[in-house]
Amino acid sequence: MTPNAASPSAPSRRSFLASSAVAAAAVAGGMPLLAACGGSDTKSREGTTSGKDAKKLLPAYVANNVVTPDIPAKNGSAVGFTARLDLAGLKTSVPAKLGKGGKVTIMSPFWGSPPKSDNAYYRAMNDLIGVDVRWQNQDGNTYEQKLGAVLASSDVPDVVVVPGWNMNGKIPNAVISKFADLGPYLSGDAVKQYPNLAAIPTDAWQRSIFGGALRGLPMPASYVPNIVPLYRKDIFDKEGYEVPRSTDEFMALAKEITNARAKRWACLDMKWIAFPAFGVLSGAEKPLGWNLVDGKLINRIETPEYLEALEWARKLFAAGVVHPDAEFGKNAPDPGPKFAKGEFLIYANDLSQWWSRTTEQAVQNPQFKVWGMDLFAHDGGDPTLWATQPANIFAFVNKKASEAVVRDVLAVANVTAAPYGTKEYMMTNYGVEGTHYTVKDGVPTKTDQGNNEVMNAYVMVAGPAATIAHPDFPEVARGQVEWQQRMGAFTRKSSFYGMQITEPSRYTNLGNDLEQMEDDVVRGRKKISDMQQWISDWKSKGGDRLRDWYKKVLDDNGSAAS
Amino acid sequence: MSNSTVPRSRAEADTGSPSPAAPATTTGPATKKTRTRQSLRVRFRRDRLLLLMTLPALVLVLVFNYVPILGNVVAFQDYDPYISDNGVVSILESPFVGLENFRRIFEDSAFWNAVENTLVLFFLQLVLYFPVPILLALLINSVVRPRVRAVAQAVLYLPHFFSWVLVIAVFQQLLGGAGLLSQLLREHGHDGLDIMTDPHTFTFLVTAQTVWKDAGWGIIVFLAALSSVSPDLYEAAAMDGAGRWRRIWHVTLPALRPVIALLLVLRVGDALTVGFEQILLQRDAVGPGAAEVLDTFVWWNGVRNQDFGYAAAAGLVKGVVSIGLVLAANKVAHLMGEQGVYKK
Repeated sequence: MTPNAASPSAPSRRSFLASSAVAAAAVAGGMPLLAACGGSDTKSREGTTSGKDAKKLLPAYVANNVVTPDIPAKNGSAVGFTARLDLAGLKTSVPAKLGKGGKVTIMSPFWGSPPKSDNAYYRAMNDLIGVDVRWQNQDGNTYEQKLGAVLASSDVPDVVVVPGWNMNGKIPNAVISKFADLGPYLSGDAVKQYPNLAAIPTDAWQRSIFGGALRGLPMPASYVPNIVPLYRKDIFDKEGYEVPRSTDEFMALAKEITNARAKRWACLDMKWIAFPAFGVLSGAEKPLGWNLVDGKLINRIETPEYLEALEWARKLFAAGVVHPDAEFGKNAPDPGPKFAKGEFLIYANDLSQWWSRTTEQAVQNPQFKVWGMDLFAHDGGDPTLWATQPANIFAFVNKKASEAVVRDVLAVANVTAAPYGTKEYMMTNYGVEGTHYTVKDGVPTKTDQGNNEVMNAYVMVAGPAATIAHPDFPEVARGQVEWQQRMGAFTRKSSFYGMQITEPSRYTNLGNDLEQMEDDVVRGRKKISDMQQWISDWKSKGGDRLRDWYKKVLDDNGSAAS
Repeated sequence: MSNSTVPRSRAEADTGSPSPAAPATTTGPATKKTRTRQSLRVRFRRDRLLLLMTLPALVLVLVFNYVPILGNVVAFQDYDPYISDNGVVSILESPFVGLENFRRIFEDSAFWNAVENTLVLFFLQLVLYFPVPILLALLINSVVRPRVRAVAQAVLYLPHFFSWVLVIAVFQQLLGGAGLLSQLLREHGHDGLDIMTDPHTFTFLVTAQTVWKDAGWGIIVFLAALSSVSPDLYEAAAMDGAGRWRRIWHVTLPALRPVIALLLVLRVGDALTVGFEQILLQRDAVGPGAAEVLDTFVWWNGVRNQDFGYAAAAGLVKGVVSIGLVLAANKVAHLMGEQGVYKK
């Protein structure tokens, strides 16, 4: 698997890669180069695809605005819909079933407890699509543990959903060697058979190019950082707590809130809030952690801010303001119930939980109000935020799938990617009216059955342009979009923003225990000096060579950052 | 039995037949050979039904225990299971790297940390866990009323049937930082306890969990051994004026000795396997520094990080050390005059 071995024989389709292959041949196995990408078939291809080469692969974009959003996108935010739901006015975006009735198995991460495999929602969706989708839902928190084994087996499901944060180790290689090239079905004008897929923004498709071929069906997302400090606004208002504007204010507030005797702590692990507070480069994905500073690529872990952020997160644990459950790390119980009980008042999680926590508690706990705190800079000024990627969850089709199966999968995606304001969107996100939700005065309310069955299954396949639409809680939708817009104003893009980069496999195990180290440091089990030692080991064990490799990628492709 | 005769006869035949130097002696081995062959054939015919019946088990052992051993070859490779859709082809196509993985292991402080944790945990469990079932068995054996005895046994067995997930959840609810005990302490003005997430006492926690869950189950073998002790012995000892403790020391424990020795040898063979699921579930709560054992190390590197060759190498090292330990423990058992797992 040396990068230089694969290339010289086969003529490359991509000119810039061909040139680097020549360079590789000249250097003859010396320094690691971007070369391997020129290989003939689906062998591991490192690097990225951009510019003219990407253009040939990307599907055409045909906008598909069914309903004008109430809040248009700004600063990279999603589009927001807050208006009442007009059931009768829903458009149809898929006039004829595209599915041919085949059977498609989909493995996908699932957060929460999955419904029975044969339920009203799945049946209704399959009926709408015309494909018999069989779900293999796996626990989302430990998905990476299943993924490696499933992909190594000879029995890969027809479709596998892979979030970007699970693409560690050799998974990117597996994506390239195990999944089908969807280019023949989607590149250029071919996508127009699937109007909802054609309306997916191009930057999301750009992210779906793996190993020089269009392999992913993307779920477009806002590039504004997605981790929000969620807090109990009802309790804040009652107790007169002010939302903190700096790390010192946060610490002071946390100490004020905490009263362990009364079973109340301030927060859970705040590591993911400490990073933006100190302006640390994004940790959402390995390539995003690199940025060009004065002509030199710097990794997030080499910056002083990184250690400062960890130190501050550690101080919170040391001060005893963190709920003891946070000590359990990944094995901690679901934060939902204890947040609802008020055992802690602040925790950091994905923006989507703003809405899901609201809806969970709406009935039995009417005073409960969760809200998102603005990210703050450690010194109280404007924060420096780093963009995540415009798509980070992808559905892939098994390489061995027949054309009929691929077409059926695309039929599924064309329904799940339907924009807000269509019947397909409502079915995908809310289920069947009367069974999974009821509508009163234009406000849809999910029934118990709806809450059980309509969870994150079909939405994982492909999505419309980043959309936040909660007609049931319009103020939450507005809050979410406006939060993104305020934070978007502070968001900058690092050097590899927007690219899909596959690292050479010899570097893939470099950062394996980084997150473990972070968690150990934050919980006081390891010292900051241990982390510094780890970082210097990382550099000598390949980090510095990886830097050179990334520099080469950057020189060859240019930066998409603005 | 029959197995041991086959290689011997063949060995004799081998030494006998290629002997150009001594052609005169050929008749001797030849007749011997035919005789063994005949008797083999006769025995085969006689036992063919029995042999046939062992065949499925043999096939199972071969397919699920021996064939997978061949997969260990990935320890010498930079194994990439994703090269091909077929595992065997992947092995054939993955590049060999010689002892590179083993070199990495010996340089990896995380591996040695796992070895250390494993050994510490093993010795702790040997001292604190192993004797508990023996004591419990003695206790139960001394209960006379069958009703009480049945209830006690049922209560002791029960935790064995709980899954580790459940056991750890119960421990967390009771002893966790926000659990019952800590909250009770706080309500009375003390500090909460950090039992579940303290890396320093983690080995004790794990041992306590093991005792709670499995000690009751472990008494079964000892109870069986106890029931085979003839009551005459106790009566005779009592006649001689031996008290309760003397009877235990001179009658009961000697009766248990072979079983104890056997279980000890088996336990030592398992020394490096100290509870995979239990520890994996709690690994993040105390960090790998305290919780990583060899099995979780293999799992973490192989399954989680897809560094399969490296993980296989670590697994191999573990296997080799385990065999060494079994041999050593068996030797000790022989020296003690016990049978151990196999005869000399």
